[in-house]
Amino acid sequence: MSENENLDVPETQLELDTDAALQNVDEEDDEDEVEQITAQKVLEILETAWTNELGAPELLQHQTDMLELMLSQVAHMEDQMKDLDKNDFRMVVHQMELERIRYIMASYLRCRLQKIETYTQHIINEDAQREPEDKRLSIEESKYAQEFVAHVDEYFNKVATQYMPNQQRGEAEQRIVLPNLMSHVFLKANVAVPAVIVGVDDEEVDLAPGSQHIIPYQMVADLIHKNQAQLI
Amino acid sequence: MDPCIIEFIGEKSIIGIIPNFSNDPLHLIYGTVGPFRAGLPVHVPLWLGIHLRKQQKCRIVPPEWMDMDVLEEIKEEEKKSKFFTKMPSEHYMVVAQLVMSTAPDDVPRCEELRTIIKDIFDIRESKLRTSIDAFIKGEGTYAKLDNLTLLEIHSVRPILPHSLDHIARYQRMAEVTQRDTSILGLSRTTGTGTGTGTMSNSSLYTQ
Amino acid sequence: MSSTNKQFADKAFELLKELDRSSQTIPAFDDDGVRQVLEEIKAIFKENVTQASCYSSSGDRSLWPLLNYRHAALQRNKRCLLAYLYERMQRIKALRWEFGPIIPVDIKQSLCEPEVHFFNNYSKSLAAYMRAVGDGHGIDLTGNLRPPKSLYIEVRCVEDYGKFELDDGEVVHLKKNSQHYLPRSQVETLVRQGILQHIA
Repeated sequence: MSENENLDVPETQLELDTDAALQNVDEEDDEDEVEQITAQKVLEILETAWTNELGAPELLQHQTDMLELMLSQVAHMEDQMKDLDKNDFRMVVHQMELERIRYIMASYLRCRLQKIETYTQHIINEDAQREPEDKRLSIEESKYAQEFVAHVDEYFNKVATQYMPNQQRGEAEQRIVLPNLMSHVFLKANVAVPAVIVGVDDEEVDLAPGSQHIIPYQMVADLIHKNQAQLI
Repeated sequence: MDPCIIEFIGEKSIIGIIPNFSNDPLHLIYGTVGPFRAGLPVHVPLWLGIHLRKQQKCRIVPPEWMDMDVLEEIKEEEKKSKFFTKMPSEHYMVVAQLVMSTAPDDVPRCEELRTIIKDIFDIRESKLRTSIDAFIKGEGTYAKLDNLTLLEIHSVRPILPHSLDHIARYQRMAEVTQRDTSILGLSRTTGTGTGTGTMSNSSLYTQ
Repeated sequence: MSSTNKQFADKAFELLKELDRSSQTIPAFDDDGVRQVLEEIKAIFKENVTQASCYSSSGDRSLWPLLNYRHAALQRNKRCLLAYLYERMQRIKALRWEFGPIIPVDIKQSLCEPEVHFFNNYSKSLAAYMRAVGDGHGIDLTGNLRPPKSLYIEVRCVEDYGKFELDDGEVVHLKKNSQHYLPRSQVETLVRQGILQHIA
């Protein structure tokens, strides 16, 4: 399944051309240079983001742009399929693929919500220090995290903490749950990465493309961020 | 990773089918499939192949490695080698399982194949267990996992990463305790405060 | 505090054990237990305050270890109590994913008022988030829980449900013991609620 060669094929009545919708979306962003990206590429990026997120102990950078592109692509295709017979061969196959893609997106976002709910305060604090383009939380997630913290605080306060004497500031801080960044993960190198420190004693290893490793997350967090390696 | 997720990922593998219908190419998001011409082999993702087979719309062409001679050789190689040999497919277990359960009639010597694939898997699993044992006893925190397939890697989950996490935690704790004891030793001679500082001064209790 | 054979934080630990032992989705909120733990916390705190002020005026350190011991007991009480609430909160969150925005009546009886309030807030936040994802395209995260296997599944109706309209407008009658071949994504919720049973 190589790159989609049908980039220039005009959309026929029955043809669900997967590139058309993405071009439309891009045109709406009239500010920047229009950067072409195929739906196939977007899917690849989302799949990697998904498995990385499943494997990483901490919350990774959000993928709002890719999600938006894919969700509008899915909506576009569903729209085009409306008139097809539901037993039509094309209909069934497209539906099956969309189901798979929807699952990936849902599983990905659920995994993120789970981390957000577990490490809420920690994630909010960290994000507050980051530049806008480096924030881990999307705008929607950030709103969700803020609300969640407020709801949890309200609940704990109503039931217990308001009755506890002399609440210390330090104690609230002690209750912040942190991810264990030293937890071990499975990693696959996408490219050759020389001299990766793999242990506390500064042992170094060169990662060959395609090689697989088990290693504490923190040692390779930046490789994942730079897409030089991915979690499996 | 849940086994059903590993299967889901494995279903992206490409498989050959011979359709009994004709259809123009379909432009799926992940790429184009088809055209489908009745009687002519075409490559599709496994999830699609399995679906079409269930609908009796195609026969599955087993991958080349699903062959007794090839697998006998792999098995011997695996037995001889100290390391893990490279498997012909990154998802050989998932592919074999799905193809042989959905379309046993499309696979010559299906039962024998099932057995030998299981043998190969077992040899590899036992090798994996032995090396994990050595790895943990050697107090390592890093290891190469070359040529292991996704399913095999995850067969040691969550035990392997979790035990390593625990060992690392104990090691860190041992270091902290050592530090604390030395602080305590100091504080005993000077007589001020306690070590860990849960209550380093009485201001906690002033109102 | 001084009763015999009783240790600090016994009650708090019991709260947790009870919750862990219970086979119910969520056992009834232990109002009484929570109050007792809070009282013990307050009592310990009061004693420590008295002692601490005695220490700062006289400089007498002889009771320092006792103060420390009681402080640890107080912390343990807090920790157990908060763990109890935290674990309940996790289960209350799970209700939202399993049953949707309305708590089943029999379970609701086990929750205290602040818990119901928390559930409603959580439910609203989650719904708002799911609607807003992807520039307003939205995605239902409580569906698609498992990787898709096939578009249609064979189901048997466990109880009378009545009419059920599919996305394409087709209406099926879900009668007890009737069997149907339905789009998986549309009946997932009914399967989870136990109204339909997935036949392999």
